[in-house]
Amino acid sequence: MKKITAFAREFGAKLELRRNLIVKKNNRYFLVDEKLKPFALDNFYFAGIYLGKVKKSKFFPSFELLRIIAEEGKANQITITERAEWLFICGRDIFGKNILKVKGSTKRGVHTLVMSKHGDCLGFGRILHDLKDGVAGVAVKNVSDIGDFLRRERQRR
Amino acid sequence: MSGKEFFLRRYEKLGWKPSDVKLKQAIRINSTNVVDDEETVKRLQSRGIKLEKISFLEKGYWISQAKLSPGATTEYLLGMYSIQEAAAQIPVSLFTNLKDKIVLDSCAAPGGKTVQLADLMHNSGVIVALDIERSKLAALANHLERCRIRNTVVYQMDARRVAELGVKFDRILLDVPCSGNFAADNNWFAKRSLKDIKANAGIQREILAKAAGSLKNDGEIIYATCSLEPEEDEMNVDWAVRNLHLQVEDIECYGEKGLTEIFGKKLHRSVENCRRIWPGQTQGFFICKFRKGG
Repeated sequence: MKKITAFAREFGAKLELRRNLIVKKNNRYFLVDEKLKPFALDNFYFAGIYLGKVKKSKFFPSFELLRIIAEEGKANQITITERAEWLFICGRDIFGKNILKVKGSTKRGVHTLVMSKHGDCLGFGRILHDLKDGVAGVAVKNVSDIGDFLRRERQRR
Repeated sequence: MSGKEFFLRRYEKLGWKPSDVKLKQAIRINSTNVVDDEETVKRLQSRGIKLEKISFLEKGYWISQAKLSPGATTEYLLGMYSIQEAAAQIPVSLFTNLKDKIVLDSCAAPGGKTVQLADLMHNSGVIVALDIERSKLAALANHLERCRIRNTVVYQMDARRVAELGVKFDRILLDVPCSGNFAADNNWFAKRSLKDIKANAGIQREILAKAAGSLKNDGEIIYATCSLEPEEDEMNVDWAVRNLHLQVEDIECYGEKGLTEIFGKKLHRSVENCRRIWPGQTQGFFICKFRKGG
């Protein structure tokens, strides 16, 4: 629980999740509602909203958690061009010229959500150079993107 | 008793001559994740994917032209639609009043129909999704996460052990493991025999019997296979009507009426309420809707 809220704070967002509705399976965390909770017995595989997992003490968020953080409203966000959108989904970093809008912190080193022009959360990255300065090259490093769904499918084949 | 000629002769005896089978790829829009279906259609069109509404489905579209794989678009990764064969979209759409219900999806992986259920339920109620194969659960979980499903709990479990959950369900989807059909598998005739079709039919009866025991009175079961073989379809329905006290409800959907006479054997007349879909634009499918008497 602490790891999840601490992760949200890295984006400047404050998450309020009900502790009693978070269920843990091995190293994975899920958010359930009151109706689903009695069905999430000890040996379930997946339940409700997958929030993320902890591996070697590090928290890896799910894309649904990123969406929840985005909906919270105060999280750092950048909106990127359509051209940069697919490059980001393919794992590439974001060039300064492809950033259309910045919300929240612009500071180097902080995490920021990456949004499409339609307002969809595509993943998140780490700001490499202060965005106020108008970065010429790579401005945001890709940390995680929704192309991961495809990469997971390919890995299984 | 196997081989292409053997099976094609059987289909002829059942009243169908294989005509041109030209399967078309289809998608289903996940309404829960989109503001407006038309807007999603436009977004895909702008990427070079042209869609054509499927007349017999509420949320289904044929892909008439695609400059890129429909499984590799931002909209797909955002869960706005699922790639789902047209006939496979029918079974779940036949349930009535799904909102807030407790639903069992007994053979759930890879999860196309689980996602469709959750979409029709608007993520309300509860879906318990089972699959026997551990290796398929990761694909199921991936599908649920991508499509932002919130009301589902997944277990690795043989559908025949459902009673161990101690739950009585309002609705049960039995998309049972089956022999498949030649339209969806080029090697189908080479690898199937009547013997393994009968073996599958036996397993399907076991799954049906256990599901009926976990269904609430007045609850609904949708039984579906993608097999064209009557042993797995009409004959199993006939057996369920006679042994499990289930009634076959009339359904209105794409397809032909279920067969009530199979190779000279007369089946219960209510079996005609089922739907048999011979391959054409869609793959082969069989669908039955049961209701448990009060």
